[in-house]
Amino acid sequence: MSSPVIKLEQVSKRYGNKEVVNNISLEIKRGSVVAILGPNGAGKTTTMKMMLGLSTATSGLVTVMGQKPNHKQVRQKTGVMLQDVSVMDGLTVREIIRMVRSYYPAPLHADHIEELTGLPPADLNKRAEKLSGGQKRSLNFALAMAGNPDILFFDEPTVGLDSETRRHFWERVRQLAQEGKTVIFTTHYLHEADQAADRIILFNRGTIVADGTPGNIKAGITIRTISFSITHSMFANDDVSITGMAAEADVRAQIEDLPDVDGIEYHKDRCILHTKNTDVLLRHLIERRIPVSDIRIETGQLDDAYANLMDTLKEEI
Amino acid sequence: MLMLLAQSRVEMLRMSRNVYFIFWSLMMPVAFYFLYTRIFTTGTTDSEQWNAHYLMSMTCFSIMGSSIMTLGIRLVQERAQGWVAYLQVTPLPNSIYFGGKMVGQTIMHLFSIIVIFTAGFLINGVSLPPAQWIGSALWILAGSLPFLALGTCIGTFRRVDTASGLSNALYLSLALLGGMWMPLDIMPSWLRQIGNWLPSHSFGNGAWVIIAGGVPALRDILLLAAYLVGFMLLSTYIRNKQREA
Repeated sequence: MSSPVIKLEQVSKRYGNKEVVNNISLEIKRGSVVAILGPNGAGKTTTMKMMLGLSTATSGLVTVMGQKPNHKQVRQKTGVMLQDVSVMDGLTVREIIRMVRSYYPAPLHADHIEELTGLPPADLNKRAEKLSGGQKRSLNFALAMAGNPDILFFDEPTVGLDSETRRHFWERVRQLAQEGKTVIFTTHYLHEADQAADRIILFNRGTIVADGTPGNIKAGITIRTISFSITHSMFANDDVSITGMAAEADVRAQIEDLPDVDGIEYHKDRCILHTKNTDVLLRHLIERRIPVSDIRIETGQLDDAYANLMDTLKEEI
Repeated sequence: MLMLLAQSRVEMLRMSRNVYFIFWSLMMPVAFYFLYTRIFTTGTTDSEQWNAHYLMSMTCFSIMGSSIMTLGIRLVQERAQGWVAYLQVTPLPNSIYFGGKMVGQTIMHLFSIIVIFTAGFLINGVSLPPAQWIGSALWILAGSLPFLALGTCIGTFRRVDTASGLSNALYLSLALLGGMWMPLDIMPSWLRQIGNWLPSHSFGNGAWVIIAGGVPALRDILLLAAYLVGFMLLSTYIRNKQREA
């Protein structure tokens, strides 16, 4: 339990003089569901390919179950679904399943794999190349399971799937996690990483920019806001009185005086305060009796946080 | 061993369902054979000898084509569709993947040889002593090795279009210049010079010599062996280069 199933030590990958992955180190524990998240070109797929031994690190060390990724014992215990892999032509679904089963020392029962494809029995005798795109992916998922693996790798598993198949897929992944299998997937769908993973490793430009539980990641980089209406409109009737104007200026002055505020935005009558600690700010707002109404507290979703993070990263460079 | 057999079986199944294979390797050679021995009779002195000779030409033509084209193009297709990458992450060793293709292909070739020989017997009543039937069949199977190696070179291409274009051109010019369509003797001498050094000519020549009652010349055997080594080195070199990239 204690030793990591996958270990990357100071791993870099260069193509020519282009650094795709830059000196990353990480460990993945047995039984965890890990999302490798990042925009296109962040180095996610390259990192996964190095874990799979499909690509060799320019420098650094990659070990899976204490061995080289291309070791036979590792291959026998891993299941993989790659991007851009079609199905083998000229064979029926059943024949492909039979073929792939024969590669593993202790495969799942053929009936079980057939069931995992989710295909109706009539389609199992169809030539695999005649299946629809989504069905081919489902077949590839079932094939990844054929060897009854301990570790599963999914590279952008839900790209091009309809929402129904996608939901079905994540259901399966949750099942796998319950069975104690280690699951590693890459994605640029943020909500998928949030919902499916218990750990998110955020990649950008070949480096790890954040690593933690979805909650941690969100807390670390989320925007929290308190927004409210400034109630001066109560005083100001049809004729905008001087007292109304003065009241508003006064309220604004009080707002600007609040502690722990990272930023203030005014949108028409609404004021939005950015803060790291909404609880404290809310208490101040009420204790100081600032005349505001319709208070709302909002926490940015991972998507927002992510966009935010990516923006700040861009600014740094 | 069990893995190799299973893999070969799968490859045979796939080949037998491949329409291009059936057309190019079985229907075309038989149709050519029929045309050139029954319709456009060349008026050669010994038609019985010619019928047997041309049967060998067409069998070699068939096996050479399937070695270069079927193998080469399918390797490219499987890589383009990501199957090669997928198989790399399964426990299936690369040697079994290639071995399965070679064994499967060779068994299918044996089947092609039987079909074309039978066609020769049915169309022209070609009859040879059993030793010559068997000897020529074995020669053709063994002589296909350099062409299978050439197929693995074709298989290193990234795009199916380039692979199929090049292999078609290679296949047809090898067949023509090697004397498989018409004897080299009736070609201009400079073409004959080229043809003499091509593997396709040595390949056909061995079979022609066998059915004429002789034994394949050492020169043909050495030439084919040299091409085999050359193509294997080339294929390995390209594959290693591509892996580094």
